[in-house]
Amino acid sequence: MSEFSPGLEGVVAAETAISEVDGANGRLIYRGGYLIEDLAPIVSFEEVAYLLWNGHLPNEPELDELRRQLAAGRQLNKAAHATLLALDPATEPMDVLRTVVSAQGASKTLTKPTLEEAIALTAVFPTIVAATYRRRQGKEIVEPRTDLSHAANLLWMMEGKEPEAEAVHRVDSYLVLLADHGLNASTFAARVVASTGSNLTSAIVGAIGALSGPAHGRATFDARTMLDKIGSAENADKWLHEAHARHERFSGFGHRVYRTYDPRAKILREMAKTAAPELHRTAARTEELALQILHEAHPERPNATNVDFWASVVLTGAGIPKELFTCLFATSRVAGWTAHVLESLSDLRIIRPASVWTGPQPGTKPLQLAKR
Amino acid sequence: MSSAYVPGLEGIVAAQTEISMVDGANGRLVYQGYVIADLAEQMSFEEVAYLLWKGGLPTHAELDALALELGSSRTLTQAATITLDALPKDTDPMDVLRSVVSVQGVEHKLQKPSVPLAIHATASFPTILALFHRRQLGLAPVKPRADLGHAANYLYMLNGKESSPEHVHALNTYLVLLADHGMNASTFTARVIASTDSDLASCLVGAIGALKGPAHGGAPSQVMDQLEKIGTADNAERWLREARKQKVRFMGFGHRVYRTYDPRARILKEMCARLNPKFYELASKVEETALQILHEEHPERPQATNVEFYSAGVLQAIGLPKEFFPPTFAVARVAGWSAHVLEQSANNRLIRPQSEYVGPEPRKPVPLAERG
Repeated sequence: MSEFSPGLEGVVAAETAISEVDGANGRLIYRGGYLIEDLAPIVSFEEVAYLLWNGHLPNEPELDELRRQLAAGRQLNKAAHATLLALDPATEPMDVLRTVVSAQGASKTLTKPTLEEAIALTAVFPTIVAATYRRRQGKEIVEPRTDLSHAANLLWMMEGKEPEAEAVHRVDSYLVLLADHGLNASTFAARVVASTGSNLTSAIVGAIGALSGPAHGRATFDARTMLDKIGSAENADKWLHEAHARHERFSGFGHRVYRTYDPRAKILREMAKTAAPELHRTAARTEELALQILHEAHPERPNATNVDFWASVVLTGAGIPKELFTCLFATSRVAGWTAHVLESLSDLRIIRPASVWTGPQPGTKPLQLAKR
Repeated sequence: MSSAYVPGLEGIVAAQTEISMVDGANGRLVYQGYVIADLAEQMSFEEVAYLLWKGGLPTHAELDALALELGSSRTLTQAATITLDALPKDTDPMDVLRSVVSVQGVEHKLQKPSVPLAIHATASFPTILALFHRRQLGLAPVKPRADLGHAANYLYMLNGKESSPEHVHALNTYLVLLADHGMNASTFTARVIASTDSDLASCLVGAIGALKGPAHGGAPSQVMDQLEKIGTADNAERWLREARKQKVRFMGFGHRVYRTYDPRARILKEMCARLNPKFYELASKVEETALQILHEEHPERPQATNVEFYSAGVLQAIGLPKEFFPPTFAVARVAGWSAHVLEQSANNRLIRPQSEYVGPEPRKPVPLAERG
C-alpha cells in the first residue's frame, strides 16, 4: 500500500485523452491535442463540446446536427419543471441546478451513459440556470428558442430580449475556456460515480455537488465578491494590505497545477479590458498588488492568478450576476464531465481506494447502554 | 513527481479515518474500534449512527436526545413532497431518493456540514422511500411516528402498521451492519465532494448516485434475480455450471478487500436461516455450489460470499420489494457517509488527483470552413 498523499496530490487516478493540464509549461490541451489559446479564437462552445465528446472538430454538417440536437433538448420534463417551481426562488442556484438535473434524469431503468444523453443534459443546463435567474428576479420564465446558439439562447432566456452579439461572444468564449480541465475535483467525482456502473445523471449530479464548493467552482463568485469589497483601483493597495495582515486569502489566486500564468486567465484578462473597463481597472490593479504581496510572502511560489479571477470580470461584462457564476461554470464543464464519463466506459473499473485507520485499537468490547 | 497510474486506485490511500476499518486479511469490520460482531445484534441503528458521528457510544440521555431529534425530523419539506409526487410512479427508487434528498437539502446559502444536518438527512431517507412505495401501490401516505425507532418507523411507514419485533430487529441489524464500510466508492464520492467545502446534501446526493451502480449497491436485487432464475436447490448445480460456460457472473460473490468470509455476510446468513427458511434452502445450496465452482476455477482466490447475497433474503423476509434493496442500503449508509463528510471537513484538503494524458501531441486546429 502506498503512503497517504493528502488530497491525492500527485496521484494518477485516470488515463485520459479528453484534456491535459500541463502545469509546468502553462498549457491546457483539449482532446485532439489542441492548445486552448489556438482553439479559443476560432471555435464555439458547440464545437468544443463536439470535440470533447467525439475526439475531432466537427465539419459543417456535423456541427449542424449537434446544434439541432441541442436545440431539441432544451425543454424540461414534467417532473423537473414541477421541481423547479416547487423550490423557493431564493434557493442557492447551484442547489437548484443539482436538484432539477436529478429530477430531469430520473428514470425507470438503469442505462449506460450515451452521447445522446450527454447532449440532452448539456442542452438543459441553460434552461435551468436562466429560469433560476428569472425566478430570483420575480419574473416570468422565458421559454428556450431553437434558432439560437447555446450561449445566445442562455442570454435570451435570462433577459427575454435579443442578446447583444458582444455579450454572446463573451459568454461563448467563457464556455469554451472552462469546458474541461484535467482531473479536477468535480470531474473526478463524476468518474468515481460512473465507475460503479451508475448512470450519467448520477455522475453529473455528483459533479455539480463538487463544483458547488468554495475550493472549486465557487471561486469565481468569491473573486467577484473580493473585487466588490475593494471597490476601486485606488482602494486596492489599502484593502489588500489590510486583508493580508488579517491573514485573509486573496480570492482568485493560487492553483495546484499551474506553475506559470494560467493560459485561460491570460485570454480572459485580455477580453476583460473591453468587457468591463471599470471593473478591469480595479482588477488589474488588484492583480498587480496581490501578486506582489504574495511574492513577498512566498517568493518560492509561482505567479498565481487563476482563471476565476479574470472570469469574474468577463462574466460581469457579459451581464451575468455573480450569484450565477458557479452555474455558468457548470454549464460549460458539463461538456467535460460527460466526455470523461463516456471515456471511462471503455475500461470501467470501480474506483475504490484504501484508507488508513487512525482510530482506537480494534477489539474493545462495547458497553451495554445501561452501563454507559 | 507523480506516481504510476493504478486503475481503480486499488491500494492507494485516499484518506485517514477513525470511522471504520475493513480488515480484509482477518475478516474484521471495525467501527470506531468496535468489531462489528460485537455491535450487530445488540445495538440500535441510532446508537451506531451516534458512534460513527461522535466517536463514542451514547449514554442514555444522549441516545434519548438523538432519538428525539430523529423522530422530529421525519417529515419532508413542501418542495420535497412536490418532487416526490411529480416523479413518474415507475421511477427507480434510487433516482427518487437522489432527487428528493437533493430537494430536501436545498439552502439559501451554502452551509457547512454538521451533526444536526446529518441527523436531519438520515431521518428523511425512510420517509422518502416509504412515501414513494405507497404512492407506487396507490396507497395513502402514512405519517411518520416520532415514538418509534428508526427501523420500526421505516417499516411502519411502508406498511401502515407496526411490524413484528422480529422484523424490526432484523432490519435494525441490517442497518447496523451496512452503516459504514471503509473507503468504498460511494463514501469516497462523498469525501471528494466534501473536499471542495461543498454542503452535506451535495455529498449525499453524489454518494447515492455512486451507490446506484451495479458494481456497488445495485447488487442485492441482482442476487434475487439470479436466485429466481435458478428456482430450486436441485437446479442449482446445473444452472450455475451452465451459466459459467456462458461467462455469467455469480451475483453476491467477490469483494476487493475481504480475504476471508465477510463478517457481515456471516451474521446475515444466520438471520436469513431463521427468518427466511425457503430462501435459505435455495440460497445456501447456491452458495455452496457457486463457491465450489469459483474455487475450481481460481483455487488461489479466497472464500467470497459478500454481504449482498444473504441481505437479499433478510430484506425479502421483512417484506421489502427488491427495487427497495439498494435504497435501503442507503438508509443504513447515510450514517457512514455523513460521518465521513464531517471527518473530511474537519481536516480538509481538496481531493484533486492527476491524470495521465494519453491523447495526441499538441497540434493546430483547423477553422470550421476548412474542415472536410
